[in-house]
Amino acid sequence: MTKTRVGIIGIGQSEFKARRDDANYPELVREGVALALKNCGRTLEDIEAVVYSLAPDALLGIGNAERLGVDAVGARNKRFMRINTGGSTGLSSVAVAHAHIASGACDLVLAAGGDKVGESGDSQTILNKIWDPTYERQLPLGTITMLAMSAVRAMNKYGMTEEDMARITVKNRANASLNPNAHLRKKVTIEDVFASRYIAWPIKLLDACPQSSGGCAMVLASERYIKENGLEAVWITGVAHCSESYFIGDRMGKGFVADHADAHALGECFERSYAMAGIKRPAKRIDVAELYAPFSNTEFHAIEAAGLAPKGKSMAMLREGAFHIGSRTAVNPSGGTLCTNAIAVSAMVRVAEAALQVWGRAGAHQQPNAKVAAASGNGGDHQFFGTMVIEA
Amino acid sequence: MELLTRRESWNIGYEHALGETASWFFVQIRDHAKLYGRRDPKSGRVLVPPRSFSDQTLEPTTDWVEVGPRGRIETFTIVYEAFKTLPDPPYAFGFVLLDHADTALGGYFRGIDLSDPAKAAEKLKIGTRVVTRFAERRTGDVLDFWYELQGNEPAAVGLQ
Amino acid sequence: MASAPAIAVVGSAIHAPRDPKQRSLEEAMYAVAKAALFDAGLSTDDLDGIVVGANDQLDGRAISIMMASGSVGGVGRDILSTPSAAEHAFVLGAMRIATGQYRTQLVVSWSPTAVNSVPEALKLGTDPYFHRALPLDELSAAALQATAIEHAVPGVREAALGIVVKNRSNGAAAYPDRSPAPLEQSWIGSGKMLRWPLTENMVSPPAYGLVALVLASAAFVKKRRLSSPAWIHGMGWATETGFLGDRDLANALALAEAARQAYRAAAIKDPTDAFQLAEVSDATPYQELLACEGLGLSARKQWRNARKSARFASDGSTPVNLSGGALSFNPVYCAGLVSIAEAANQVRGRAGHHQRKNVRRVVAHAASGFAMQYHTVVVMGADRREARS
Repeated sequence: MTKTRVGIIGIGQSEFKARRDDANYPELVREGVALALKNCGRTLEDIEAVVYSLAPDALLGIGNAERLGVDAVGARNKRFMRINTGGSTGLSSVAVAHAHIASGACDLVLAAGGDKVGESGDSQTILNKIWDPTYERQLPLGTITMLAMSAVRAMNKYGMTEEDMARITVKNRANASLNPNAHLRKKVTIEDVFASRYIAWPIKLLDACPQSSGGCAMVLASERYIKENGLEAVWITGVAHCSESYFIGDRMGKGFVADHADAHALGECFERSYAMAGIKRPAKRIDVAELYAPFSNTEFHAIEAAGLAPKGKSMAMLREGAFHIGSRTAVNPSGGTLCTNAIAVSAMVRVAEAALQVWGRAGAHQQPNAKVAAASGNGGDHQFFGTMVIEA
Repeated sequence: MELLTRRESWNIGYEHALGETASWFFVQIRDHAKLYGRRDPKSGRVLVPPRSFSDQTLEPTTDWVEVGPRGRIETFTIVYEAFKTLPDPPYAFGFVLLDHADTALGGYFRGIDLSDPAKAAEKLKIGTRVVTRFAERRTGDVLDFWYELQGNEPAAVGLQ
Repeated sequence: MASAPAIAVVGSAIHAPRDPKQRSLEEAMYAVAKAALFDAGLSTDDLDGIVVGANDQLDGRAISIMMASGSVGGVGRDILSTPSAAEHAFVLGAMRIATGQYRTQLVVSWSPTAVNSVPEALKLGTDPYFHRALPLDELSAAALQATAIEHAVPGVREAALGIVVKNRSNGAAAYPDRSPAPLEQSWIGSGKMLRWPLTENMVSPPAYGLVALVLASAAFVKKRRLSSPAWIHGMGWATETGFLGDRDLANALALAEAARQAYRAAAIKDPTDAFQLAEVSDATPYQELLACEGLGLSARKQWRNARKSARFASDGSTPVNLSGGALSFNPVYCAGLVSIAEAANQVRGRAGHHQRKNVRRVVAHAASGFAMQYHTVVVMGADRREARS
């Protein structure tokens, strides 16, 4: 535990859509900020520091776009820095905001960002450029193909089937239909998933996340500030990051530490957050888990890395009704990244949704009696992982 | 209300230094159609593609070890969707554990009928033995080689 | 007032590779990280976390931290990236130790020159809404700021040229093995005009550089008996707004705020005699003028006499940029972190050729982004003290 307890006092997120032609990028960021400030009755003047959440510059087509976002987040003449850990950026930004407070540097910090992935024209082409120019960039590697290859290994190792994958999509779309902020809200059936075309085998269109646009922001405060101002809060009790080798080929073959079928570093990351939060048996303690999983197959290894199912067993558990809203641990009751993916903030939305759950403010997609939630973010080529535990 | 957009593209070029290790690896491909890995002394793993240090142990790698040309498929995917500047679909690629290597090397799989996804996936399933083929004219590049199923006729030059 | 535990810089390395083709960027990062750890007397096993600062467009990678991570010990560890500025990686690293969750942090940054055109790459920082079509890159922005300063302080150009000469002379003495830069004043002032009012010799071309620092908590320093720490007495950081047209380029308001934060934490009331040395941002000499003013080391009315001022000279009471600064060696993206490392080295007695005697306390300033958008100030000293919050 850190010396200073850090609470989340305000949350704001856009209603995510494919395109937002009505707003330029800074305006989209401002949208999330305005909602978060209103949520906790603070103004921009109250904020002491801003942590700006922004993943690859290329997706926005602006180098160091955070510089343009300074006024959108009210950071003129204030402490300001930007974080980029690929897809896990949003969660890492909240973690850095946490560090600003836990270190004693500040009492009130804003984490904010936005994305317009739809405007980049072709995110996979850009995401191909995350691979190194030495060995792998000329291969058609993208996040979809990279995670399709993870699915292939999971099928081989655990017997995961395409039907198992489809079941995740069905669950998450049903959840998203209850979430007004989600992008893809239409319910689908297993047949619908099977009828959708293959993108990269075995991942089909309905197994994949959309390209979403929108903003998200969170206001964090020290326990002292919260008490002095009589504010409501939920608490970040665990936070950690851990990463994997960049080389996918090292996660297979002989003598590997991590198998590309699994999310080994995510598992280690959860262990560290849980240790900080004093949670010894997550399957019994975690009521809600918002786990970053942009493709249906990846939700399984995320569930297992979060300690919510033994390795290779999450598929069977899902078949038996686990992980739905109302079960012991609801996984991605918001619909998850599979239904909304504004890359720069998707991992922040995981934290936001986890916080809303333990706050009892999740509306129609509320997990009943949620008191302890876990959130995760993934970045890079399944390389950077961040996790958090949030409690009422 | 008229909503305007502005089209922009990024057009910047780079000259990336490959360093000695990667350069030697590619020169062997270009000049001798041979593949090599580098051993990490601490774990004993032969790393392919080779690196001058292991990111797991943070120690420099030591000797060169010739690997392949045969190996087994560790994972694969088949792409059916078109992406800008990436090849026309369908195409298959993945990672192969070459003989004598401990980590897998990425590359295209050629010479397989990809029209039926389920059948193609079966042909490419994990554990399938493959052989590395090299282009006649090589430039010292990962595209100088690809994998074919062992027992298949070599892919005719000019296909995919 | 609450105070955070003391944190120190315990190791550093600054690399200026002579032949960029000899090693890949990742190999160069591996080397600088190892060198900093070696300097600290530590191994990667001692690292609790890493923060890197890198620019995707300069690196040619859409997520710089991906390929870099393994090189600097990221596998199995907690690694974050602050692309906004290299010096932000330092600030974050220090804060992380102050939370009590980490004993150590490695902070790394690099500025490669593999891109065909550094200005083109950095020009992508302009927004596509209003400014991308203009020839606005970092150099143009610096020139706009220089013009604003010349307008605000007529006749300051002489002083600016004097700063170039000072820093280049310092640089030649500090790093005799690096390529020398022009230091003949008349030549500097009358050379080819790059962007009014900056001549080609008033700035330094982008150079390939890498820098790494190791930070540790007081408890760790004591436990491992690490020698020569540079204790962080205070840190401050702030940003200007994004659009140049919204700013008063002749006044660094964000720097005043960053200095205020740092001095408050370090309990410094009068900066004019608080430091034995300063390393400040000097991508152009006008930046150094603004920096010294913002840090409270000089007043604007003294600028015109800066050249004649003995105080900031290499043998003066508060030498500024004894290392030679970016005017001598300009690893564009990580120049600010280099300034912090240079200042820390002076406290630690590791500054080599340009080591000054009796350095008890220093101030480092870094500025990044168009026309010094981000400012970071770090006060370090030989005495172990806690920064006040």
